[in-house]
Amino acid sequence: MTSPFQSIRWRLQVWHGLLLLLVVAGFCAPGYQIALENQLQRIDKDISQMERRLFRSLMESARTSLYPDTTKDKDGDRPMISLGQLMEYLREKPITPSVDVAALFQGHEPGYAYFSIRNSQDEVLLTSPNAPEDIIFLPPAKSDHLEDTRTIERRREVRRSSPSGFRIVVGRDISQDLDAASRFAWTQAATCLGLWVLGLGGGWWLSGRAIRPIQTISRTATRIAEGNLKDRIDITDTDSELGQLSKVLNNTFDRLNDAFERQRQFTADASHELRTPITILLSETQRVLKRDRTPEEYREALQTCNMTAQRMRHLVEALLQLARQETTQGLNGHASTCDLAAILEDTRIHLTPLAAERGITLAADLHPAPCVGDPGALSVLATNLVNNALQHHQGPQGTVQLSSGTRATGESFFAIHDDGPGIPGEHVPHIFERFYRADKARTSAAGHTGLGLAIAKAIVDNHGGEIAVQSTPGQGSTFEVTLRSDRSL
Amino acid sequence: MRVLVVEDDPDLRRSLAATLREENYAVDVAADGGDGLDKAKQNAYDIILLDVMLPELSGWEILQQLRPANTTPVLMLTARDAVHDRVKGLNQGADDYLTKPFDIEELLARVRALIRRAAGQTLPVLSIRDLSIDTASRKVLLKGADIPVTAREYALVEYLALHQGEVVSRTTLYEHLFDEDDSTLSNLLDVHVSNLRKKLGPEVITTRRGHGYCIE
Repeated sequence: MTSPFQSIRWRLQVWHGLLLLLVVAGFCAPGYQIALENQLQRIDKDISQMERRLFRSLMESARTSLYPDTTKDKDGDRPMISLGQLMEYLREKPITPSVDVAALFQGHEPGYAYFSIRNSQDEVLLTSPNAPEDIIFLPPAKSDHLEDTRTIERRREVRRSSPSGFRIVVGRDISQDLDAASRFAWTQAATCLGLWVLGLGGGWWLSGRAIRPIQTISRTATRIAEGNLKDRIDITDTDSELGQLSKVLNNTFDRLNDAFERQRQFTADASHELRTPITILLSETQRVLKRDRTPEEYREALQTCNMTAQRMRHLVEALLQLARQETTQGLNGHASTCDLAAILEDTRIHLTPLAAERGITLAADLHPAPCVGDPGALSVLATNLVNNALQHHQGPQGTVQLSSGTRATGESFFAIHDDGPGIPGEHVPHIFERFYRADKARTSAAGHTGLGLAIAKAIVDNHGGEIAVQSTPGQGSTFEVTLRSDRSL
Repeated sequence: MRVLVVEDDPDLRRSLAATLREENYAVDVAADGGDGLDKAKQNAYDIILLDVMLPELSGWEILQQLRPANTTPVLMLTARDAVHDRVKGLNQGADDYLTKPFDIEELLARVRALIRRAAGQTLPVLSIRDLSIDTASRKVLLKGADIPVTAREYALVEYLALHQGEVVSRTTLYEHLFDEDDSTLSNLLDVHVSNLRKKLGPEVITTRRGHGYCIE
């Protein structure tokens, strides 16, 4: 997080801030506009009312003076006068409106009202003493009645012009209203700003909360990278996207750790098993080199060294084979269709001389057993199992039976049965472990690496098959391998 | 000096035994834990070399059954080199610990040191008046002059010197100087003693009639 704008949190914040500003402004600005317009409408109505009162008062005065003989009590009976007549009357004889109406249009106090009346010849018929100089009248109307409202400086005016030539402007000072509106605008702006800041704060907090798991993940991953392979991400919220990501990462870490652990165990096993032969080599060579010896003694020592080196070679080969089987998953492109019967027959021919040395007969009961697999690995598997049977056969003579076939379920199988001493029950669960020797007296010196069955198991696992062992002490053991014939690997 | 080697690997067992025999130790061997424990209990050894991973009984189990009755020094030989393995071995009564693979010279030096310490000696050169015995180079010196002795003679004088002042019985000497395969005549010991008296002077080894021999 070098630049703030590379950080997800900052980017989120900027977008969120812009969007929130737009929304807040979008609500507040029209609100102000509407409030202002309402206020003006109210003012207009107010002005119109004042105009009506002025007009009524003027009409009354005109009628009273035109028809003075009519009694005051019978107001309604006085004939109505036209606008023209009123104009005529005003031009000739200036009148004043009634006192209460005149009181409306005077002074320059905030909110004062004024009026001015002219005819079409621009003669001023009547005007309030406080009317400003710069009043602009609507032009004389031709046929229709003209009317408008306008705001000029800090005043609001209603202007009319009738076809009879009567033109009037009634206005009001609205500085108070404008001040109120501006105060309202500032309040509005402050509220908006407050909302925006609140929103920003909330957004910052929320985005912080949202990315906190990322920081946890990042810290944990760093610790793991530093070598603490057992560390895991603490998942509290299992259903969120980050919770799921954490779960996936934890699974990955588990698998990596397992792989490292296997590798570590493998290295430990390998070094442990290599220590004894290396000790023999050191001991023999150092002993023999200490003094001069007869050729016979040298030959003996060299033979021991040779045998020890051979033993190390077997061990290293077996370790590599096991490593190869355990580090690959599946068959890695070596799959082809092969017949277990043919593989077993090859193994039988190959191992017959070795078996004969020990007085053991290799018998075969082979039926076609097609399967998909790695022929090289399957051959190693069969050889290891037969070798295992031969090595653990103690009797002076015996039989190892190789059989293969297809089950009713469509699976192919093969089995290696021996009539040897069998495996004591307590060892059976462990025989596929590396370097586990059921018979501890048979050490690696006799060509046992202790890896044969571990390799066999790894090969079967890579083929997705199963290996099972049945053993009755004193009567022999049977290793049975089942492979699916339709497996597509 | 008599050594028991308990090691299951036949090649290593053979090689270790040959090395020790060439250094004039009397060597018995055992291939598994049971045999090893039996021999350790039956015979008086000066040191036992004990492998940890053994068939039947592990090295730990043998150690547990030997201690505390048997105080023979035990040097554990093992392929495990983790610290906790070594600590476990020493805590269970082993006297020293050697991780495979090791150099023969180191093994021999440790064997010599353990035997010396078990006899209560701290220096590799045992000095008794004019006589000094260098256990590292296996030489006997009288007034600074190197006296040539045979392997058996050396073993005899070394054993008596290590147990200076003690009367060592003939049986004990037989037990510590000859291994189980030796079928020596019983008067061979007298021959070695008389040869040593000729080489080192008659007063070095005294005879306590009916008890044994002694270097005072």
